[in-house]
Amino acid sequence: MMPGDRPGLLVGLEVHQQLSAPTKLFCNCPITKTEEFPFSFERRLRPAQSETGRLDPAAVFEFSRDKPNLYLWSPESSCLVDADEEPPRQVSREVVETGLMVAAALGSGVVDEAHVMRKIVIDGSNTTGFQRTAVLGFGGSLMVDGTKVGVQSITLEEDAARIMGEDERSRIFGLDRLGVPLIEVALDPVSGTPEFVGHVALNLGRVLRSTGRVARGLGTIRQDLNISLDGGAVVEVKGVQKLNLVAKVVAYEASRQRALMEVAKKLVGRGAKVKCAVKEVTRIVPWGGSEVLSKAVGEGGKVDCVTATGLSGLLGWEPAPGFRLGREAAEVARAHSLGGIVHSDEFRKRGISEGEERALREYCGAAEDTALVLVAGEPDRAERGAAAVASRLELAPDGVPAETRGATRDGETVYMRPRPGAQRMYPETDVPLITLPKELLSAAADSVGEPWEDTVKRYTNSFRLSRDLALRLYDSDSAPVFEALARELMVEPSVIASILVEMPPRLLREGVPEDAMNEARLVELLRAIDSGAVAKEAAPDILRALGAGKAKTVAEAVGSLELSRMGESEVSSLVDRLVRSSSKLISERRESALSPLMGELMSEVRGRADGALVSRLLKERLERALKAPRGRQSSKALR
Amino acid sequence: MKDLAGYRGRTLEFLRRASAGVGDVLEVKTDWGTVTGTVVPRYASADDSHVVLKLKTGYNVGLDVSRLRGAKVVAAGEKPSFSPSPAPKARPGLPKILLLGTGGTIASRVDYRTGAVHPAVDSSDLHALVPELSEIAMVDSEILFNILSENVKPLHWAKLASRIAKAVAQGYEGVVVTHGTDTLGYTAAALSFALQGIPIPVILTAAQRSSDRPSSDATLNLIGSVSIAASADISGVYVGAHLDESDRGVALHAGTRVRKNHTSRRDAFLSVGVPLAAVWEDGKVRLIDDGPPSEVRKALFRPKPKFSNGASLLKFYPSMPPSLLPSLRRSGTKCLVIEGTGLGHVSSDVIIEIGRFVRSGGMACMTSQCINGKVDLDVYDTGRDLLNAGAIPLEDMLSETAVVKASWVLANTRSAEEARRMMLTNLAGEMTSRRLPG
Ligand SMILES: [Zn+2]
Repeated sequence: MMPGDRPGLLVGLEVHQQLSAPTKLFCNCPITKTEEFPFSFERRLRPAQSETGRLDPAAVFEFSRDKPNLYLWSPESSCLVDADEEPPRQVSREVVETGLMVAAALGSGVVDEAHVMRKIVIDGSNTTGFQRTAVLGFGGSLMVDGTKVGVQSITLEEDAARIMGEDERSRIFGLDRLGVPLIEVALDPVSGTPEFVGHVALNLGRVLRSTGRVARGLGTIRQDLNISLDGGAVVEVKGVQKLNLVAKVVAYEASRQRALMEVAKKLVGRGAKVKCAVKEVTRIVPWGGSEVLSKAVGEGGKVDCVTATGLSGLLGWEPAPGFRLGREAAEVARAHSLGGIVHSDEFRKRGISEGEERALREYCGAAEDTALVLVAGEPDRAERGAAAVASRLELAPDGVPAETRGATRDGETVYMRPRPGAQRMYPETDVPLITLPKELLSAAADSVGEPWEDTVKRYTNSFRLSRDLALRLYDSDSAPVFEALARELMVEPSVIASILVEMPPRLLREGVPEDAMNEARLVELLRAIDSGAVAKEAAPDILRALGAGKAKTVAEAVGSLELSRMGESEVSSLVDRLVRSSSKLISERRESALSPLMGELMSEVRGRADGALVSRLLKERLERALKAPRGRQSSKALR
Repeated sequence: MKDLAGYRGRTLEFLRRASAGVGDVLEVKTDWGTVTGTVVPRYASADDSHVVLKLKTGYNVGLDVSRLRGAKVVAAGEKPSFSPSPAPKARPGLPKILLLGTGGTIASRVDYRTGAVHPAVDSSDLHALVPELSEIAMVDSEILFNILSENVKPLHWAKLASRIAKAVAQGYEGVVVTHGTDTLGYTAAALSFALQGIPIPVILTAAQRSSDRPSSDATLNLIGSVSIAASADISGVYVGAHLDESDRGVALHAGTRVRKNHTSRRDAFLSVGVPLAAVWEDGKVRLIDDGPPSEVRKALFRPKPKFSNGASLLKFYPSMPPSLLPSLRRSGTKCLVIEGTGLGHVSSDVIIEIGRFVRSGGMACMTSQCINGKVDLDVYDTGRDLLNAGAIPLEDMLSETAVVKASWVLANTRSAEEARRMMLTNLAGEMTSRRLPG
């Protein structure tokens, strides 16, 4: 077994890719990120009852949080459609075409008539309370590291509003992103290492980019992962924003789920049944030793105590570093806007004395093997939070409960809400049906761009890039500008590629700010190199100067660094001077003097001349010096 | 017998051959694979070449029947079993409110199996969907009729007014009417005239977003309107609807001064030329305006639920053929409300026809298409010519209110002189005596 291997690990990947389209999916708003929102409104979403009279668990969860949503909007990026104040307009033909291109690129089958549906989502991220979505195709596949990965479905949908924060009163969303067209590709679950899953995501992203119709940049592609281990439920992880986090999230989830299974195994070993009850204990002990609890009570809140039979000692137990059942319970409480919990495995550490614990146990009728979890906060919230913690702990014998989790920036996951029941969908009657005749499909197939593997091959063959550089270029946002410049400029394509995709991250680590190295700047720099105004070796210094604010343009930076390019004769006389003053070195080391001399020259030239030119002139000069009779040389030196 | 709702022509034939109907799980072969899904109804306006299947994932897809092979039913349709959550218990001691339905869906549930939307049918159903109501009042509900508001006619106004008059006798402390938004203002005006002096509040309410959506404005409008009807010290006919685009407050508009001023926004209703009557916000009612003068408000309640079809409304425009007037007269118009330009003007050729209309025994009234402000026929020659032709200037009455009023007046007097007097008398707050700043 490979070290990264997780036996029984299954991961279903759903990739959500924003499209680059002139407008949003169901209105005429431009797609742009808004910084300042001049208007706002507040709404509450209400779960619609289904025909069976049953409500969806996820919907009830959101509704029970009982916080209105505050929507921020600006005329630059939103209109009445986004505010759910006007019916949607029909889907643009161009976006449908993009969807068909993706289907063609993946070899998927396409439906004859697409129906826009309303998928109930009441977490506030859609002003309507549903997401508009239409499935376009099924089946198809992509190859990843020699393995064929099947496609389940291709869906066209609208992006959700951007969550901007949450305060005591409401959850806050920005409407700029709401309605941006997305393509969702859902893949068959794959097994293997987290790294393999990462490759699957990477390759699917490349296929999507090969259409030339997808948006670029941070946040334009998001991964949802359905992760399960053998014997556990499927956990949905939402919103992995960076491709390189996919493997990390999968590895984290696999460890977390394994740890929960270990806890379940222990419970089976104990023969324990987990039964939970909730009792209010606000006035049972003074809470003086616990800052969290005394603060909550001081602010008019209450403390509920969840008792969980059989769990004593298992809340604080770490089957793997960092993974505890207690942490799971704390995340559930946090999802109900509560600060956190205090459980009996850490009472001493958290300021609950032995006497206080005894009083609590006695009041709640909790035996030794029973774990206590204190949930404190504003009364209604604490009550809901305690109930949620109790239901979570009762699932401990199952190991991994089905739930929806969110991905963090560090590649970890946190609890969001229970898994929704069967998708609740019904037709979006405000939008006409979309017929997809055969001709439209074949037209889309014709306009699919070069497959990404071919593009990478072309980069390595015609532009003589290394495969690694070619891939980095393809995965970057700079591939189009590279192609244009590589054709237009005399500069080596590898130099262009390197300055576009390798230099900026390297200098970023040095502390050069990102905007000093934006695409326009890099293009300006490459043109300066091409015109001979500056040597490619000077590129980092120029970007550093721009980053430090010493210059506003590349031309200014060249001037300020006295980097204007040396002509051949200037370089030649510099070489001549050095060779003459280094006669001792040359006579001692003969040909091998080349290397130290070259080093000295380059540091003197400091990027004002091309390295190849310096090297040629030095070699020629050195050869002449070595051919010359020694006597003459020394006599010359004496002169 | 299979249910084949919406299917016709080729798709109907296809489903018949497969012995499939709506609700059956059908398996079909396409060029690219086998698809299994529940047959769902097809829109009647859609083509006859696609059958619609709802997949296990919840998505609907349309498949061209001419490209399908081997259709077979793999499971028969199952009837959804509906078990509504129990309605909260009515709380004795709370005000008794009657909720009347006239169409539209103020509360509904969705059948996610077929995508159909089913409105609440009775009180218990409504309580299950909007349990908050039982905290506010003892609500009885009744569906009076179920039509789109654009199909509401004078006969519906009459039926509604009679039922509300009966509700007063039955001891209800308030009536809330749910109604489509499009002609809500007209119905509010009609009830205002038919129910002059009514001692309880009558609040018409509606939704701009249908109640199957989680974002529907129906619930807030309903809760706000029932709250006002149950607790505010007011009487008369009003419209209750969203105060602004937020789910925060419900604005109460006087029934004769309200207008739908936006096609789709939640706060489409505006009070024209008068302040809001009241605002319900944060669970409390704030009364703002006393409404019409006290003699109007304190009139004896003698319901007159009668309306005539002989009133017409005509908007004047520069290229209007004057012959429209005799043609309306011939088709039975007894009172014509003309929405003139500016202070209430029309072109001189139309004035000639107005003269003929009045001489033939008709009544012609002037309102203004400016919406805000009052008509005045004394300022310009055109106005004076109109007066000479017999036109009646209706002050600042809204055109929509004016035509409803004319319909009511025609049904409640035979005397032309009396009709003219009634049109010019402020009966239900339809005219203001002073135009105020703000
Ligand atoms: Zn928009």
